[in-house]
Amino acid sequence: MRRIFLKLRRRRSMERDIEAELAFHREMSALHINSVPMGNTTVVREQARDLWRFSLVENFWRDVVYAVRSLRRSPALVVTAMISLGLGIGIDTGIFSMAVEFLLSEPSVTGASSIVYVRLAGNSHSSKEALDFVRASGLFQDVAGENEEAYINWNDGADTRQISAVLLTRNYFAALGVPVALGRGILPQDSNDVAVLGDHFWRTRLRGDPTVVGRAIRLDGRAYTVVGVLPKTFRSLIGFGYSPDVFVPTYLDDTILAIYARLKPGMTIGQARAGIVAVAQRLDKEVSKTTPQPFRYAEGVQVSAVGGMDRIRTETEMQTVGLFFVMLLVVVGLVLAIACVNVASLLLARGSARRQELAIRLSLGAGRARLFQQLLIEAALLSLLGAACGLLLRQALAATVEQLQLPLPIPIRFHLTLDWRITLYATLLATFTTLACGLLPAWRSVRQSIAPSLRREGRMRLQRALVVAQLALSLVVLTAGFLFLRNLWRSNAISPGFDIRHTIYADVNLPPQAYKDVARKRAFVAEALRRLTALPGIQSAAAARVVPFNGGTRFAGGLKLLDTGKTVNTFYYWNAVSPDYFRVMGIAFLSGQTFQTGGDAATRPVIVNRPFAQRYLADGEPLGRTFRYGGDDTAYRVVGIVDATKNLSIGEDPQPQFYEDLARIDNTRTRLEFIVGSATPPATQLQAVRAALRRIEPNAGLEVATLYSSIGLAFLPSQVGAALLGGLGVLGLMLATIGLYGVMVYSVSRRTREIGVRLALGADRRDIAFMVLAGAARLILIGSAVGLLCAFFLVKPLAIFLVPGLRPSDPLSFLAVALLLAITGLAAAWGPARRAAAVDPMTSLRYE
Amino acid sequence: MAKSGSPMLLQGTLDLLILHALQRCPLHGYSIAQTIHLLSGEALKVEEGSLYPALYRLELDGAIAAQWGVSENNRKAKYYEITKRGRKLLAAQQETWNRLSIGVQRVLARQP
Repeated sequence: MRRIFLKLRRRRSMERDIEAELAFHREMSALHINSVPMGNTTVVREQARDLWRFSLVENFWRDVVYAVRSLRRSPALVVTAMISLGLGIGIDTGIFSMAVEFLLSEPSVTGASSIVYVRLAGNSHSSKEALDFVRASGLFQDVAGENEEAYINWNDGADTRQISAVLLTRNYFAALGVPVALGRGILPQDSNDVAVLGDHFWRTRLRGDPTVVGRAIRLDGRAYTVVGVLPKTFRSLIGFGYSPDVFVPTYLDDTILAIYARLKPGMTIGQARAGIVAVAQRLDKEVSKTTPQPFRYAEGVQVSAVGGMDRIRTETEMQTVGLFFVMLLVVVGLVLAIACVNVASLLLARGSARRQELAIRLSLGAGRARLFQQLLIEAALLSLLGAACGLLLRQALAATVEQLQLPLPIPIRFHLTLDWRITLYATLLATFTTLACGLLPAWRSVRQSIAPSLRREGRMRLQRALVVAQLALSLVVLTAGFLFLRNLWRSNAISPGFDIRHTIYADVNLPPQAYKDVARKRAFVAEALRRLTALPGIQSAAAARVVPFNGGTRFAGGLKLLDTGKTVNTFYYWNAVSPDYFRVMGIAFLSGQTFQTGGDAATRPVIVNRPFAQRYLADGEPLGRTFRYGGDDTAYRVVGIVDATKNLSIGEDPQPQFYEDLARIDNTRTRLEFIVGSATPPATQLQAVRAALRRIEPNAGLEVATLYSSIGLAFLPSQVGAALLGGLGVLGLMLATIGLYGVMVYSVSRRTREIGVRLALGADRRDIAFMVLAGAARLILIGSAVGLLCAFFLVKPLAIFLVPGLRPSDPLSFLAVALLLAITGLAAAWGPARRAAAVDPMTSLRYE
Repeated sequence: MAKSGSPMLLQGTLDLLILHALQRCPLHGYSIAQTIHLLSGEALKVEEGSLYPALYRLELDGAIAAQWGVSENNRKAKYYEITKRGRKLLAAQQETWNRLSIGVQRVLARQP
């Protein structure tokens, strides 16, 4: 401390003081005969300077200036470093931004860490009574509910469109503290006819009208007053970029709600869980007094956080997403390492060119540490430039991703803002690249300047080792990319078990109030099927409660077989469809037939799929068997057995499923889905199908698309994986090829004399080219061997992201990737080989 | 350091000699060199190339304090004065030196 103070105070006068003092000394010794020898006055000044200055900082600054000056003289190096490091750091921070957005972003609520998501009886959503009971218990500071996956029909005056809505309890905005950009949130004392708009809906559908607050919009045939608009960066509670169009109060009593609660201050999630179990037990007691209950609220209670690390800890699906991002970051880290090796090779070559300069500086008394520091500073400057380019690239990538319209039925929008986490990450990356690019060349240069005799053979060996490492790394990255490409081909080739090429999917959302009655819904279905099949070019049409991949209803429970009297525990998908469903979807009957009209009301017909029959009905002939389920007294008779279909994802194994007749169930749902089989390409029939359905119910929300495009969600993970990892693989290969090319060019230019001698002694030019190619081939071979060995172990954990049946250790992948690397590598060596063959013996012998 | 004929100063001993020379009263650089020269019976010569860096280092360490004053021949000169910290350092170094020199003498007094 005192030293710094002293130094600061003396800073100005130091030089003058030393001069004066030394002058006095000289004068005195001149006066005396018995004088003390003078010594070296320059050394005194140098040493004094070193003592009294902040030499560390000042030297550092001088080195920075020096490095800038010397880098300005080699623009090729700077540009190469900026491109390689910029690409690496840019893509790395881009993926990191996505990871932050997906995994760590907090929903737009006040105090997100005190909000929890409560599941009763293991259900994602609970009844309004249950929610009210929890709220009344006083366990939490506040309790709100939302149904986030609702659709609502919006009439803009010309047409009715289905938009995504969140139905919420009216205390939602107040309880969670959701911010609004315009107007206000919904208040507990509001009527049911108020709405808050999402930013994107407001901007795109209402042209960002600033006077929208107070105006009315028509939703589900009713007039709603707009009270507010959400901010642009609004993040919903479920996250993953889900950005609904409109928020309205729930108005139907049977709407199920996801329960969100604010913890009282100091309450932990564990305490909340214990508390809510007790509340649920009281609720069970209360409910069972009046009605028999098929499930218990207190069983399977889950309490989880809504954001940050807590959410990752408490929700397993987040962990899978997290693993995917970790994998991506590892792969992109490898690509960055490849880029670093390129820059390191360039710095090595530069170091050998500057050997003389460094040797002179050493002999003039520069310390080794100083030289080392200075070389490292050059690498740091290059890394900083690279990081700056990388951040620019990240901004461009983020803007692209934010604009991206994903081919999904739900609105997904990301907000990839550049925050401190991203900046910190970029800084860490720049530090890493500084060390990765600079450490080895700097150490090398300093050592060489001390022991110049070691230089020749050694340096090339180091550069070769670097290229081998680069090739090995790129092989690992390529293998991962190739695996995901194969995964894409494989999942495209997998049949979902139904016809997706000749079918149209229509999603109809009936206005709930006009269609409360089951009979009206049935009438609508009958009329729709009649009109659709009457269209020219349409072969058949069917209705379903849910079409696979657009959601699924899974049940678990006891199945009581009436013939043997046994009860089997089952787990199955459930659906209700119209009789023609199997024909339109191309699902084959193994035995029996589809639903027929008539029959007795006491037994209802069901159709089961093959896994269901094999797993649960195997103790006899499945066809014609009867069973009971779900707690009521209806008997169900198996009238047909069909092939299995996939339900949620393309990679899954077929699960047991059974179908009921849509016309016979008590359908409470006002959302109906239709499947239309077309003889002509389905895309050409979309308009006709839309018009036919629109004529029956003008107020219905309608989405019509080919079935292929509407199940896009199922293909998305494999597409995203293939695009990202395939792209990274290509980038890695490109960077490694550039590295190999550089080393080959360098080695040929160093061996010019040797090649000249060989030619002069009568070597064939083809032999020379072959010699160079063989050198490259050796590097590629070693690199491939090392890379294959690493890849074999490193890609094994990727199995969790791949469709079943595709093994990461499949030799075909390794073979293909190694071949690709060999071809690209030899192609890169071709140029230098030709240059070597074209060497003129005379010029090369005069060289040096 | 010292030229041929006069013994080399051991690293660190110069600090000890300077502090010792300053014990009685503040001195300027030249007279410190002179004092050491005279006290050593003209055996030791301290040249400015080693004297001044040592002085600056001692000043930074807080063992001595510097101040501009007027010399005996009416010249502006920088006077160095030993501080409390310097006296402590001197005592410690003297102790170390004594042990060292006794040790060396013992070694040299006997035949191996």
